[in-house]
Formats: sequence, C-alpha cells, structure tokens
Amino acid sequence: MSSSGEGSSQWIEPTKNDKPPKDADLAEAWAFLGQGVEHIMTRLNTGMSYSYYILLYTTIYDFCTQHRPFGAHDNYIRAFGSPRSGASLQGADLYRSLNTYLLEHSKKMRQETEKLSDIDLLKAYAKRWEQYTQGATYVNKLFNYLNKHWVKREKDEGRKEVYTVYTLALVSWKANFFKHLQADHNKPSRLTQALLRQIELHRNGEAVDSSLLKRVIDSYVSLGLDEADAQRQNLDVYKSCFQTFFLQATDAFYKAESEEYISVNSVSDYMKKAESRLQEEMDRVTLYLHDHTRSELKAVCERVLIADYRTIMTKEFQVLLDNDRISDLARMYNLLMRITGGLEPLRRLFEEHVKKAGLAAVQRILPAPGASTETADDQDPRAYIEALLEVHSKYDDVVNGPFKAEIGFNGSLDRACREFVNTNAAATTPTKSPELLASYCDLLLKKSNKDLDADALEQQLSKAMLIFRFIDDKDVYQKFYQKKLCARLVNGLSTSDDSESSMINKLKELSGYDYTQKLTKMFTDVNLSRDLTEKFRDRCKSDLDMDVSMLVLGTNSWPMVPQQTDFAVPREVQDVYDRFNKFHSDVHSGRKLTWLWHVSKNELKTTYLPQRYIFMTSSYQMAILTQFNESDSITYNDILLNTKLAEGILKPQLSLLVKAKVLLHDETTNLYDLNLNFKSKKIRVQLNQPVRAEQKAETTDVLHQVDEDRKFVYQATIVRLMKARKTMKHQALIQEVTSLISTKFTPKVPEIKKAIDHLIDKEYLERSAESNDTYQYLA
Amino acid sequence: MSGKLQEILIVTSDDETFTVKVEVIQRSAMIKAMLEDLGEQEGQVIPLPNVSSSVLTKVLEYCEHHKNEPLPVADANDVDDARRRTSEIGDWDANQVDQEMLFEIILAANYLDIKPLLDVGCKTVANMIKGKTPEEIRKLFNITNDFTPEEEEQIRKENEWAEE
Repeated sequence: MSSSGEGSSQWIEPTKNDKPPKDADLAEAWAFLGQGVEHIMTRLNTGMSYSYYILLYTTIYDFCTQHRPFGAHDNYIRAFGSPRSGASLQGADLYRSLNTYLLEHSKKMRQETEKLSDIDLLKAYAKRWEQYTQGATYVNKLFNYLNKHWVKREKDEGRKEVYTVYTLALVSWKANFFKHLQADHNKPSRLTQALLRQIELHRNGEAVDSSLLKRVIDSYVSLGLDEADAQRQNLDVYKSCFQTFFLQATDAFYKAESEEYISVNSVSDYMKKAESRLQEEMDRVTLYLHDHTRSELKAVCERVLIADYRTIMTKEFQVLLDNDRISDLARMYNLLMRITGGLEPLRRLFEEHVKKAGLAAVQRILPAPGASTETADDQDPRAYIEALLEVHSKYDDVVNGPFKAEIGFNGSLDRACREFVNTNAAATTPTKSPELLASYCDLLLKKSNKDLDADALEQQLSKAMLIFRFIDDKDVYQKFYQKKLCARLVNGLSTSDDSESSMINKLKELSGYDYTQKLTKMFTDVNLSRDLTEKFRDRCKSDLDMDVSMLVLGTNSWPMVPQQTDFAVPREVQDVYDRFNKFHSDVHSGRKLTWLWHVSKNELKTTYLPQRYIFMTSSYQMAILTQFNESDSITYNDILLNTKLAEGILKPQLSLLVKAKVLLHDETTNLYDLNLNFKSKKIRVQLNQPVRAEQKAETTDVLHQVDEDRKFVYQATIVRLMKARKTMKHQALIQEVTSLISTKFTPKVPEIKKAIDHLIDKEYLERSAESNDTYQYLA
Repeated sequence: MSGKLQEILIVTSDDETFTVKVEVIQRSAMIKAMLEDLGEQEGQVIPLPNVSSSVLTKVLEYCEHHKNEPLPVADANDVDDARRRTSEIGDWDANQVDQEMLFEIILAANYLDIKPLLDVGCKTVANMIKGKTPEEIRKLFNITNDFTPEEEEQIRKENEWAEE
C-alpha cells in the first residue's frame, strides 16, 4: 500500500511518543486506538506504516494483558453478572468501545445515503460496502489478540452475542444500516427496489452495470450470519430481502410479456421467445445472482413461460407434425420437456399421428377397388413393406432428431408401428402382415432379384427386420418364411447362401435359437444332400441312363408332407428308384425314406416330333407322359389305373398338359391323344405350372399348421410354468402364460383355457382339492 | 504480496536493529498478517516495543530453526491440541535457558503470536511443575504464600479428587 494519496496532508500518523503507556486506562487507550480504527475504516487508501500498525497492536496487547486490582471493575460485574479474572475485563471494555465505534460509523453511512435511490443508491451503497468490509478485514487482524483470547473465551463459554471483530462489523452494518433501508417487511427495501429496477431495465434490453449489481447482491449473501457458526454460509438475508421479491418481479414481468406477445405473434415465434428468455435468465444467475436462485428462478420461468402455455403449444403440435416443421418440433420438445408431464400429451398425439400415417400409406398402395376380385391375395409384398418402412423411417428420424431419441417418444413410435403393421387396410387379419413380410423377404432372397448387390441386399434385409420387430404373430412369419425357404432351397432359387444365412442370423438375434433351429437344419440338409448325390453317382458309375440329383430332407425340419395319393413309379425310373433306396439304406440304415413325388421335377426329351423339345415336368406329368411311350392314344381310365394317382391330383395335371397342347382331349370318348403336331417357340417347354387351387390351399395350410403348433406352445408353456411352481392360481397362470407367449404371438385366453383342460385330461395337472381356482402339477 | 522483499529491519525495545529474513519472521502470525495487509514497504522498520534484543535473539533462533516447517493454520485447533497434549519436547527446543529467559520467551511468543513456541514454552513450565508439592513450586518460582491457613484448607478440600 502506498503511503501517499489524497488526504494525506491532513492526516499525520501518530508516532511512538503518542502511544499510551502500558497501564493506560480505557479512555486513554481508546483515544489512541479509536483514531487508528477510524483511519483504517475511512482512509485506508492513504496507507499505514509498519510502526503505526505495531503501535496499535501493542496498545491492544498491553491493554489486554494489564494487571489491575479487582475493585476497579465494578462496571464489568454489573454488565456481565459475575466477576472475571483481570484479562477478561479489559477485553470486554475494548470490545464495547469498538462496537460503539462501528455503530456510529454505520449510522453515519446510513445518513449519507438516506436521500438516495435507484442507481445512485446502488453506487453509494456498493462503494461504502467495499470500503467497510475491506477496513473490517484489517481491523479484524489488528484486533487478533482480542479475537484469540477474550472473544474466544466468551464464545467458549456460550455467549452468543459476542462475535469476532469482522463478524461484529457485519452485524453492525446489518443492524444500523442495511435494515433501515427496508421500511416495510412485506415490501422490498429501497436497495432491493433499486436492484429490481436495474434488472427490469436489463430485461428490456438496456445495458446495466452487472458488476455493480453483483457487488450489491453479494453483500446480501455476506450479511446472512449464521449464529452458530460464522464460517457457514447462511442465505436467509439473501432469500428474504432479495430473492423472494426478485422471483415475484420475474413472475409478473413474464406474465405480462408473454400475454402480450402471444396475442400478436404465432406459437412458433412465442417458442423462440420463450427459449431465449429462459437462456437469458440462466445467464443472469451466472452474471450477478447467487447460484442458489438458479433452480427457483428456473421453476418460476418454466411456470410462466411454458406451463401456462402448454395447452396452446400442445394444440400447435399437430400442425407442426402435419407440416414437418422439424426445428419447431425440436423447440417445442425442448420447452415442454422441462415441465412435469409436459411431453405426455405430445407422445400421445405423436403416436396417433404415426399410426394414421402408417394406415394412410397402406391405403395408398392398395390396388384400386374393383381391379381384382381377390384384392388381399394380390397385394404386392414389396410395395406393402416399403410403404411401412417409409413411414417408420420418416418418424424414426423425427424421434432421433427433434425429440432427441427420448425414450417415451421411442415407445410411442414403437406402439404406433406395431399397431399399423399388424392391422391395416391390407392386413385385415393378424396373419396377413407376417405373410407379406415373408413374401417380401422371399423376393429379396430369390435369384430373380437382380437389381441388388450383396451389400444393398443386406441393407434391405436389415430393414425388413425392423418390420419383423413389430410383428405380433412371429410364429406365422416363421411358418411362411420356412415355406418360402423350402421352395428356394428345393428349387435352387436362392440368390446366395451367404445372404440366406445372414437372414437366419438376424432372425436368431431377435427371436432366439429355437426360432431358427429348423431353418438352420434345412440349410444343413441341402448341403449334405449334395454330397450324398455325388456318392450315389459314384456308386452307379456311368451305368445310369439319366442324370439324377437327390435331396434327402429331415421330416421334422421341412414343411412338406407326401400328398394323399398312391403313385405307381413309372418303369422308366424304377431302376434308379430301387438303386437309390438300396443306397440310402446302406448309408443310413434304419432311416425311413419317403418319396415326395409332388415336389420332384423332371426333364423329358421328345423323340416323336420333327423338332426335339425338352419338356420340363412334374413327376406326375412324367408318369402320365411316359404312358404314351406305349400308345399314342389312351383313355382316362387307363391313365388313372396305370399311374394310380388320386383323381383330384390327376385331373389338374392332365388339364395342364391339354392346355399346353401336348395332349389332345376328346371330351366325348374321354380319350387322350398325343399331339403329334405340337409346336413351341422354345426348345425348353415349361409344363410344370403350379395348380391354382394348390396355391390357395397353401396359405390355408400354413395357417392351419400355425394353429396346430400354437396348441403345443400353449401346453408347453403351461407345463414349464407348473413344473417350476407346483401350484398356481388360475388367474396368475393365465397372466404369466400370456406374458411369456406374447413375444411369439398374441395369445388368446380361450385357447389357454382349452390347453389347461387338455392337460388335466392327460393328467399333467389337476384342480386343487381345497380351492377350485388353483391347479397342481402332477409329476 | 509480490514476495520481492527478502529481508526486513526490526528494532527492539532496547533500540537494537536486527536484519531478519522475511521468511523467518513470518513465523510470527502477527507480523505475517501485518505484512500481508500493509504490503511491502521498502526500508521501513518494524519496532517491537515489547521485546528486548536478548529475547528476540532467542526467538529468531527458534524461527530460523523451524523456518521450513509448515505454518500453523489459523483456527486449526485440532492439530494444535494434539501437539499440546504430549509433554514431549523436541531435542533442539529443549535447549536449556534460565528461568527468567524462559518467561520472557513465553511472553514474546504470546505477543508475536508464535503458537508453537508459546506451546513449547508452556510445556517446559508444566514439566517443571509436574510432581511437585505447592511448597516446592512456591520455592521454585519464588512465590510468597498469600493464602490464610483457612483459605488453604478450603482449596485443598476442593481439590481432594485430584490427589490420588
């Protein structure tokens, strides 16, 4: 500190000659000390020498360590009630004198600022506060001996109204200056009013001296003196004298502003305004408020700026969705997420909106009404699945963008998707969507799908799995997928083994090992069959007069059963048939081989026409056509007799051959003639057309199988549960079974009941003797 | 403080001037506080009207010896208590001084606010008293008994519990 400065001309620092003697009485000692304290408190800028400081310190020390005869301290006894030892008495005297000085000093400052208000008051107050607290810090150290001995002992003895010197200074400021600024307890003090005025100006965009505001506001915090522990921060003064009024003013300010703003501006503009106001207020806390106010200020702002306008905002939400106003959606999310329950209505609206969008998308791709009589059957799986995917993708972007991937909106999206994926204009039954999805995957995985390279195909499959997640009846999908996979494998139509197994892995990831077990097995069977065919060819060497390829498939894994018909193996293939049967029983003795004639295919070379054709036929057609090796004209009855085929199977096959003009049919005689004038543009003639009726039966078949399988799922789930629990109440059992099964398909309660009855009949379960709504497990 | 000031002049009650390293004299909490508050004042002396040159010599010896120890933290009562409770005194601190000097040092330590030195001084006195009868103590410190026999009897009664 510099020793020169203003006022130094008037101030002449006392020297050691001015120091009172060691045995000076209070009046003499204080005369010297009071002058020093006054100097520190008011003229600190003019400086102080080491020697003056030491003189003051020594005077305090000397005075406190004086030995005085007892009788001289009647005052003390009167004041504090009981006699004390010598040192305590001088301490008390000194303390009281200091207190009196601080009181007078605070009062003087109060008088100096009495006429001031607004910014002038703030400036004057801040200036005095700074000087006062700085001075008090010095005085506190100067009076260290008093603090350490007399004050400490008084406090140790439980005297509450004795403070260390610095705290004493604050107490005095508060009692003699600060408190007098406030005339009415329920109204802000002059000082607080001045602060609020500046803050209002600031809110209205005017420049204010925020460091001044901060200094004044900090003084409120410092004046919160904790009676029990001076070190501990106590915000009582800050809260009661400032924060309460500040929050009231904030509330009123924004109420008025918002009301006016919304009446002339759009909701979208209002949200922008609210967003920036919220940010401003948080910046304000950092700028000049105590951090404690942050949460309460936030609460007030969120109430007046957001909560009061939630209905208006929620109403606007639909408009924003309809018009894809992404940044406004993000803003609305950011605002409403701050208040409890603010997002809930949005989530509901969003769910409804996505659902509607999904349903509308399906409606758009439906074939025009009347274009076909079998609308549902002709639904194009590609268009259908792509429409679903497009809706999902669009709103998935919304959830991950404006809605910050918030878990509740993710839930809404999932629920909405699940709803429109499983039930819509194209999928009137819950089994339709899984069927279409399986067909879509089939399209992707078929060889004929040439527009996609491996990577793009992989991507499409991954997207298909998105829809798979939403499918309720996953078992229906499984069945259809299995059927299609079977067709691809048997007919060699797969685009690649890699893509097939990648798809199976995806399904396994989502639905587990059990779900894909059969699919994997099918894959293995096909590979094993390749080896087996090789071995068979090796065994036969070159003495086979035809080319053969065999698929030996496990009955349990493949969705194929022999048709209900006899079949006479034509003598042309009898030899191969016998040799393979023998070969198979040699390789796998004990395994039963069932021939699935209806899925096998043949290629026949014609020899009776000028042009050599190759007829691609089913085995049934082969059996019919080989009859004509014997005669060019055969009656229906003979064909029936020789092939031993059931009439229901034979007739459609015959009509296919007639339609292709390979055979000619004479209705009256029921005679079939070989068409010796057969002509075709292609050398290879495809006669193996699917039979219409069969195709339709297939879907019904699959669904029937699904129902059959479900019965076992119900039973197995019940048995598994009961085995673990031994006894269960009816209601609990139904509930648990439902929740366990719902990952596979949507269980139906009557079916569960049926399964329970069935298990009781089979003596796996029994009704408890004590109560008839309880079941017991029978080991 | 910028810490540029390395040495400082101290004038004792008997007008002797000492040149002292700031680092050493800062063991005195009083002087440390003053230097912090008033800042560095080149060429200014610090008068110590309550300390004689012979005592200051001893005090400075102590401060020099302990200058590298951490300064006691203000209000760190717990640590202080632990230190005070033991009656042990470090080898160097046990350097014998006569009784008169011992009391002078205690007073100076109190005045200059050098807590560890004050503690060590008081501990030394306590060790001198330990195990002695009141008569022996009076003799040791040259105290005249100013109690009447009645008063003495009264005090003995009050303190009977401690006699065991």
